Amino acid sequence: MASFPLVSTSMLLPLVGSFVLLFTRESWAKWVASLFSALVFLIALFSLTLFNFSEAHRVQFEEVYPLVPELGLKLHLGFDGLSYVMYLLTALVSLSAILWSTRDHQINHREKEYYIWLLLTETFLVGVFASFDLMVFYVFYELTLVPMFFVIGIWGYKLRLYSAYKFFIYIFVSSLFLLLGIVSLAVFHFKSFGHYSFNYFDLLKNNYSLEFEIFMFVLFLIAFAVKTPIVPFHTWLPDAHGEAPTAGSVLLAAILLKMGSYALLRFNIGLFPEASLFLMPIMVLWGILTIVFASWFTISQNNVKRFVAYSSVSHMGFVVTSMFLFNAEGLRASITEMFAHGLTSSALFMMAGFIYNRLHSFNMQALRGSIKFMPVFAVLVVITGFSSMGLPGGSSFWGKFLTIVGAREYTVALAFLVIVGAFFSALYVLYLLKTLYLDTREESRLVHYVDIRGFKLLSFLLMVVPMFFVGFLPFLFFSLYDPYIQNLLQELANRVMER
Amino acid sequence: MERLISIEIPNLMLLLPELVVLLTAFVLFSLDLIYKRINHVLAIGVSLTGYLIALFLLLLNLGLKGETFYGLYVRDSFSTLLQIFMVLLTAVLLGFTHAYYRHRASIYGEFYYILSFALLGGMFLVSSYNLIVLYIALEAVSISFYILTALLRSDFNSKEGAFKYLILGGVSIALASYGAGFMYLYSGSLDLRYVLTHLGENQYFLILGLVLFLIGFAIKIGAVPFHFWLPDAYQGAPTPITAYMASFGKLAFFAPVVRLMPLIQEHFSYAWVFTVGIVSALTMLYGNLVALAQKDVKRLLAYSSIAHSGYIMAGIAVAQIIGLKAVIYFLLVYALMGFGSFMVLALLERASGWENRLEEFAGLRFSLPWLAVSFMVMLLALLGVPPTVGFVGKALIFMSLSYERLWWLAFVMIVATGISTGYYLRITALMFMKGSSKEIGLKVSNVEKGLIMLLTLLLAILGAVPIILWSLVSTSAENLFMR
Repeated sequence: MASFPLVSTSMLLPLVGSFVLLFTRESWAKWVASLFSALVFLIALFSLTLFNFSEAHRVQFEEVYPLVPELGLKLHLGFDGLSYVMYLLTALVSLSAILWSTRDHQINHREKEYYIWLLLTETFLVGVFASFDLMVFYVFYELTLVPMFFVIGIWGYKLRLYSAYKFFIYIFVSSLFLLLGIVSLAVFHFKSFGHYSFNYFDLLKNNYSLEFEIFMFVLFLIAFAVKTPIVPFHTWLPDAHGEAPTAGSVLLAAILLKMGSYALLRFNIGLFPEASLFLMPIMVLWGILTIVFASWFTISQNNVKRFVAYSSVSHMGFVVTSMFLFNAEGLRASITEMFAHGLTSSALFMMAGFIYNRLHSFNMQALRGSIKFMPVFAVLVVITGFSSMGLPGGSSFWGKFLTIVGAREYTVALAFLVIVGAFFSALYVLYLLKTLYLDTREESRLVHYVDIRGFKLLSFLLMVVPMFFVGFLPFLFFSLYDPYIQNLLQELANRVMER
Repeated sequence: MERLISIEIPNLMLLLPELVVLLTAFVLFSLDLIYKRINHVLAIGVSLTGYLIALFLLLLNLGLKGETFYGLYVRDSFSTLLQIFMVLLTAVLLGFTHAYYRHRASIYGEFYYILSFALLGGMFLVSSYNLIVLYIALEAVSISFYILTALLRSDFNSKEGAFKYLILGGVSIALASYGAGFMYLYSGSLDLRYVLTHLGENQYFLILGLVLFLIGFAIKIGAVPFHFWLPDAYQGAPTPITAYMASFGKLAFFAPVVRLMPLIQEHFSYAWVFTVGIVSALTMLYGNLVALAQKDVKRLLAYSSIAHSGYIMAGIAVAQIIGLKAVIYFLLVYALMGFGSFMVLALLERASGWENRLEEFAGLRFSLPWLAVSFMVMLLALLGVPPTVGFVGKALIFMSLSYERLWWLAFVMIVATGISTGYYLRITALMFMKGSSKEIGLKVSNVEKGLIMLLTLLLAILGAVPIILWSLVSTSAENLFMR
């Protein structure tokens, strides 16, 4: 079974699915899409039995296909601990997003196209996390833009066109810097070793001067800071997330943002250790500022969807801060938080979409106290809220707690700063829950409240149940990527010692 | 270097494809003389037969290398590769022209042989180092283009475009030949290989000659201070001819400049990098900025063509082997993209009341889904979204800029590409996200439909599997460099 091409299968299946969709009837589209994404999810679950946890720092399920030998371009696919977690998240969230769409009122026209784009997104996302060749990574990274552009622009809410443009232009232009960085690395490799290579492991051997390394770090950072996003570069996010249909927001928040932080960890830190250490104080403080500012922005929102979108920014602040602490706790916190935020933000966007279907509004004031009429839904929302806040037992708890522990290893002051950030992020969740749940509601309008059920309940549960896993059994997750973290820290230490 | 006068028997095998095209041109010419009204099926049949034979010969001789006529004519894999594309483009063009001209009620028998002469000129332009041959070939292509541009009876824009093209084209050829004169004065030879590697006195003559020569070509290419004719000519010309000028014309006019790249000497490579870099930066910024303001899609694509000249010139600035490869690759793929995108317009213009205005594209996805998808792929390729060929081209240009550490030019290119996002996306969004189904009275033959779809597929497949085109480009660049 070792030679089973697991990665390419999970990339090809949605692709095949979207091809099949071209020839199916409009009314069957949703079921075909669900079937194919469910298959990918099953493969992902099955792969858990094959994954070697103790060797998680190695690339497993490796597949290599040469593309252009002269340029050293290879389709090098595989998962190590870090990308494997992201892969699991992708399979889970894609399935959940597609299941949700089958009952979403927003998706009432051009269904075939819609599911084709969603399935293509899934293919590209798996490609992003599985590629160990930087050029191929870049290709998939860019490709995710196209389907999301259409999903936002066609099935989105009122400002959809504007948001779609903004989303595409921001990400596309910023990632051109990344492209320049990637080809520069390959050229550098050529100048020192005599052959081009875009392979991650080959590029690790490059020996840069500090100035050049910082330059490259910045080129990569421009792309990933916009994607992650870090605060002054986040302005595309509320529009894109706010106007996309629910499934689009879910995919954007849960996975597309993770592409940024994943790449920041894998490439910026992995390839440029010296520059990372050099810029570490800036990055950590920048992350904390992101948390604090984004939390303030969040509280001031009056639109539930934009509220959730801004809360994503503040969570990503935690991810960035903890990543650049460069100790085991910090990195653990970062990866756990990536996964946890994928779950909570998806659930929160589903909440917003669900309420919109019932009350036809995103306005916080109009929604006051509305969810208490739908008990099951209310329970799920409250669980998600507390999870996202970082209550012990909730999924984000480990992200926040370990960040504080990691920061404490430097100084108490830094830890205190992180706590301040955590305080603000708790504040807005409480505010959200209070508005939706506790506020009194005058029943002037005749609203027909129907509790969550069927496929929507299923896909909500697909997000909520794993939250408990993360919250109560974090060591299951840590074991996925601990070897990776140990290895990364070891390598960083080695490479810095060498110079 | 001692030169002995010797009698050489010309190796006609080397230029057999050109001879076939010449023969085709003469047959077409005679047909036009014999018949009062030319039979189009016959003319297209004769042209296609000739072109396909030429293509066959070219493919057969893909690895052929050699010189003949005392080095006036050079065949190497670079010229063969470009000629294959040229012949293919000309043959494909014939699939679209007749329906277009019939729609515009402007049918001329001359069209077929003028097209052949343009092709012949282009084929010589890509395969010579000799200044005189280059001059003659340049004239052949240009004069054919002036006429082709003007071939729309009763259309004022067509005449205006052709006239502007004629005047500026004349200036360009005058400058180029003047420059050639200075280069001869400097080295006593007309062979560029000798001129540029020769170390003589009075280097000003060389510099002056080279600059004038290059300005001549810059006008033809549409590089920025010399671009004024291009939007008018592209807009005025019959749209299939615009497509032809944007693809075939680019290949032909860029080829001699590309041939110069390996010959640039170490001691003035800095000046080369700097000058070409500045012109390139201006061209891409100007082209994209002005394109952003256009309401007429044909004119918009004309400005985008200027911008693409800028990207190609960015690669030319890097006179290294990687730059050469990038330039050849980008040239070939731009020929495909430009041809395809203008051809879509040529089809749409046959719809009743179509004027190429931006807002007319709204809802195209509902009325002509296959055309909308094809056009979207072409626009995304022009923008450089992976995995299309446009992306591979841009990545290669970035690679060569990074090789020469031309960071400033790379940043300018990022900005320019960022600007271009605006208008490519706008058309895409209009087609897919706005408007509703409306009837477009447009009859498209299966041949046209098939050709457009084939082009679209090529753009995606050649980009996703880059090795196909890359291997050809790479060997031809190496042959050019390692002579």
